[in-house]
Amino acid sequence: MAEYSRLAKGKFTSTGSAQVVNLPFKPDWVEFINYTAAASGADNGVPHAYWDSNMGQGVAVIERFQASNQLTTDTVDTLGITTFSAGQLLQFGPSLSVTVVTKAAAAQVTTSAAHGLTSGDVVILEGLYETATTGMPQIDGIPFTVTVVDSTNFTIPWNTNQSNYTAISIAATGTPRAKKVLYPYLYFPGVAFISAITLGATTTIDTAEAHNFVVGQEVAFRIPSQWGTVELNSLPNLLTPGAPAYGYVIAVTDYNTVVVSIDSSAYTAFNSNQTVASVPGLSFPQIVAVGDVNTGGVQISSGSVLYPPPQYMPIGTTTFNTINGPAIRGAFVNNTAQGFVIGSGVAQGDASAILVGAASDVIYWRAYLHDYSSP
Amino acid sequence: MSITTTGNLGPMILQSLAPAMLYVPTPTMNYITVCDKVSMPANGGTTCRFMRPRALQPPTVQLGNSGIDPPAQVPQRDIIDAQMAFFGTGCIINEQVILQDQEGVLAWVSERLAVAMRQAEDLILRDYIVSAASQIMAGGGSNGYNPTNLGITDFSLVATTLDTNNAYKFMSGILGENRFGSGPVRSSYFMLTSTELQSDFDQMTSVGGITFLNQWNYPNNTSALPSEYGNVANIRILTSSEAPVARNAVQNNLGVFNDVYYNTVLGKQAITHINQDGYSMNLIYRDPYYSGMLAQNATLAVKFAQAQALTQDTAIRNLLSTRLSNLGV
Repeated sequence: MAEYSRLAKGKFTSTGSAQVVNLPFKPDWVEFINYTAAASGADNGVPHAYWDSNMGQGVAVIERFQASNQLTTDTVDTLGITTFSAGQLLQFGPSLSVTVVTKAAAAQVTTSAAHGLTSGDVVILEGLYETATTGMPQIDGIPFTVTVVDSTNFTIPWNTNQSNYTAISIAATGTPRAKKVLYPYLYFPGVAFISAITLGATTTIDTAEAHNFVVGQEVAFRIPSQWGTVELNSLPNLLTPGAPAYGYVIAVTDYNTVVVSIDSSAYTAFNSNQTVASVPGLSFPQIVAVGDVNTGGVQISSGSVLYPPPQYMPIGTTTFNTINGPAIRGAFVNNTAQGFVIGSGVAQGDASAILVGAASDVIYWRAYLHDYSSP
Repeated sequence: MSITTTGNLGPMILQSLAPAMLYVPTPTMNYITVCDKVSMPANGGTTCRFMRPRALQPPTVQLGNSGIDPPAQVPQRDIIDAQMAFFGTGCIINEQVILQDQEGVLAWVSERLAVAMRQAEDLILRDYIVSAASQIMAGGGSNGYNPTNLGITDFSLVATTLDTNNAYKFMSGILGENRFGSGPVRSSYFMLTSTELQSDFDQMTSVGGITFLNQWNYPNNTSALPSEYGNVANIRILTSSEAPVARNAVQNNLGVFNDVYYNTVLGKQAITHINQDGYSMNLIYRDPYYSGMLAQNATLAVKFAQAQALTQDTAIRNLLSTRLSNLGV
């Protein structure tokens, strides 16, 4: 009898990165079959995996091929299967000690131990202070989308290769840290910090984290004067005093780049080369969603559901569905969710055996929440 | 003489339930208080749409004497959409609990579910505002963090920003009276902030004659809200223990951590709370009759529908700050 149990199943095609599965409950048992790995029987494949809540978060028991068609058992000890309940903001992961932040167009951050991040995760940095004139405290507190380089390195979309930034090393006076923002997109579209602006007949905006805008999104700007391009600000309006001036997103290049309809050819250049001395009280340039001009839902394409839900784009150009029903494109939506994550951890006995499989692997999963559990 | 004591004739029942339940510590819910409220009709689809006309350009160029009309203007509007979402939670209560417990378990669980639902409404609005409203970093304080602790000039800056944006204030002012220690209160926006900053307000240094005024120093406080702590410049301050705080999110030059507070300053209609067809408070009781062949378990649950939108983005700012005082424990 299973009067109150919850059972769910589904499938996805692996990207090789951690896969989030949204459910109407938080399971206490997850199992999956990697059909592709099972069918090929190739060495390092993980055809089956199991997880019980009593094992703890981020682990899994697996079967893997240790040679062609020769199965053995093993475990994944980190980045395994994890459940989540994303209902409130301003929650952070463990504080990671940072040893190096480079001066580069996309600054590279090195952590002293494995960071456990996945591309598309969001972090804040803190303690990037060296002296009254050196260091990088200008970017402390900004949420950045990371692109993972390896287990102890990732890049952030911010140009620190400028005169007022000094590379951070372990000798910094502060205590450089990085913290993962656990649930950055519970509500969208919203506000995003601007990392660069390209002026022209249309205006190209780069953001520090995913903007989650769509074509037709109406946006406003908040550019503090020291960042330069104050003409983009929705107010003051010289022609019609008091009336905020907005722009529209006319193209979405990727997760952190959009093109806005405003002709900024004659505007002041954007300046992200802020000084260390400006930091107490330094406000950041922002782009803010204020509305939309859309009248339909997400476009239907081959393989998509008939009435797609709102989608978000944490990295690259890959979109993910929310658990909502169909919505107007650009509407303010709620993305609070729960479910489980199949991580990209590796088998303890074989670093080439990846839990979530290789890109294009087809995975069938089942998740349970049992009526009765002992303990 | 023999005295019969509880040592040889003890009470048969050693415990008695006190007549009233103890209170449940519950934060004040400020976010729902300051929202505009809109109800979507039943059968009204998934999305609530707001329309705001844009101002037309004032015709400041004279017509001259040519007799020719100036070109027409094209009226425009802004559209804001918000998608409805549904929430709920509940408890499964075995009939043996109801049968044997002496403290009216169904009554107090119902009450807790209702409060949980109302608190969820408030927390959703809180987090939505953190996600959607633009930010200003406090710089008027003295603690050296970015943002700094709140200073008088930060209040003045945010109030100036909202005034320049032609936001509507919530409250008209309170005229001064000849009462010792009191002072007049300006017409005001609201700031929604944390109870943890109250000691910072108490020790705020006045600048240019502007100072923090405790609510109990208002000339009269009949218009003060229960959670109102005081006033600075054109801002009246509502505090709650559930205000958004990013713990240890910033360090100073010495590597010492501080918390970052999201102090929301807003005018009228800045944020709107939307329900659908009054679907904002459903308490659902299902008798054990509906559970299994032995009818063992009753259920108590609440559900509600809610959407939210920034309906005047120019009338709201999150003023981020750190804290000057140490926290009590």
